Amino acid sequence: MNAMVEEIFATEEKDILQEVMNIAFGQASADLAEVIDIFVVLSVPNIQVIQGRDLPKYLLEEIHSSGLVNIIEQGFLGKFSGQALLIFPCGAEKVLLNLFNQGAEAVGGCDIDVDTLELETLMEVGNILIGACIGKIAELLQDIVTYDPPRLIAQDFSLEHPKCCPIDENSFAISIRTVFRFEQEDVEGYLFLITNQRSIEWLKKALYAFLESFE
Amino acid sequence: MIFDQIFETINSGLIVLDRDMKVCHWNRWMAMHAHIASEDIIGRSLFEFYPELNRPHFLRNCKAVLAFGHFCFFSQKLHKYLFPMAPVGSLVDHFEQMQQSCAMGPLRNEEGGIEKCYISVQDVTEVVLYQKKLVQLTMTDQLTGVYNRNFMESQLSKEIDRCQRYQHDLSLLMIDVDLFKTINDNYGHPCGDFALKTITRRITANIRKTDFLIRYGGDEFCCILTETSQQDAYIVAELLRKSIADTPFEFKDRIFSSTVSIGVAGLNSDDKHLECLLKKADEALYRAKQSGRNTVT
Repeated sequence: MNAMVEEIFATEEKDILQEVMNIAFGQASADLAEVIDIFVVLSVPNIQVIQGRDLPKYLLEEIHSSGLVNIIEQGFLGKFSGQALLIFPCGAEKVLLNLFNQGAEAVGGCDIDVDTLELETLMEVGNILIGACIGKIAELLQDIVTYDPPRLIAQDFSLEHPKCCPIDENSFAISIRTVFRFEQEDVEGYLFLITNQRSIEWLKKALYAFLESFE
Repeated sequence: MIFDQIFETINSGLIVLDRDMKVCHWNRWMAMHAHIASEDIIGRSLFEFYPELNRPHFLRNCKAVLAFGHFCFFSQKLHKYLFPMAPVGSLVDHFEQMQQSCAMGPLRNEEGGIEKCYISVQDVTEVVLYQKKLVQLTMTDQLTGVYNRNFMESQLSKEIDRCQRYQHDLSLLMIDVDLFKTINDNYGHPCGDFALKTITRRITANIRKTDFLIRYGGDEFCCILTETSQQDAYIVAELLRKSIADTPFEFKDRIFSSTVSIGVAGLNSDDKHLECLLKKADEALYRAKQSGRNTVT
């Protein structure tokens, strides 16, 4: 854990947060299997504090891909609020389109071009994954969140040569990173939850309340 | 009281459903655009009125909302609309159905349990129309109505990537009007414009819907033939050349002839970019011009 994380979270708090995330993502994965009939493996979440301008560099180090990614952003608002970034390496949208349209009826009609279909699928998948993960965290911590529609904020975004930063350069991001993998297909994506100071204060209180509920 | 009034007067469709998909609330916007009065639909299943919604994709979303409290978004780009309705006003001329952006989410009771869900419906037809117009403006040539160079550069590199990936055939024709300047000089620019329009019409009539015709420059056109080998492309090019050379042009009592030279190039596995293919076709076109015009090389 780096120095910045220690300033924001005490070790104990980080442990509780880690535990909440483990439970939440375990349940989210079960929910997802039921909703989309696809088993999603979510890795143990990793918590980091990053300054906005360092985010592309951090992402590049964390994401083992050629450096070109698509980023889906979705804002969530509750006592726990912020933005969720879902990052897929370029090309994943093609696999996801096949995966999600298997056995399903064709949506929209045949006048939609493949590129649009792929990107829209990416956003639909993004909404499902983000909703499941954040929804579970909120549920465990007795919060109810609402969401903005998902947006594709960066297409074929180069992490090696970022022209802009996905979040404000000067803000601090508390990044909760999880890698998820679709069991039937070899697609990996990365989920980052970027939240603000106020949410963190609430989060700490909620974490202790969560712990007390077991005592 | 206030919220009831907002529910009724807001300029969006709002529906509340219970867990059995029975309609609990149906606002005035919905009544007005769907032509179903709230007293007729409340208490009855939504699927009685909209049987086409009773399909796996929609039901999956309902489950995600009702069982797990997720929020779902039905984008216009993917779904066009959820509730078939007539477009408002003159938009009827452009769309058969109102284009909608819809969302669905859980409604909780005081204990936090999900008892109901809502669907919101937003009319985005006008935006979609503007989008279409913008796309059309940036992609087409205003004089001839065929695609422009901008389109070629943005779209066709993707097409080439796709062909390379799946090892499909693709050919490119580079078409140049022979001595176009003399048409302009002898008969004037309106006649030159007419010749360009007639040539594009004749080419379009002889290629398939899946092919692309692009006005590359002043009197230069580019034709992308999908799923076509170089040999077959040569046959097409010959057909195009004849369709232009064989029938004279008639403009305001003037009758004149025009011919084109065509360079043919087929996509090879080592052509990584659009530029490689363009270069090959350009070289072939140069040879066609050298060998006395009105030729395919």
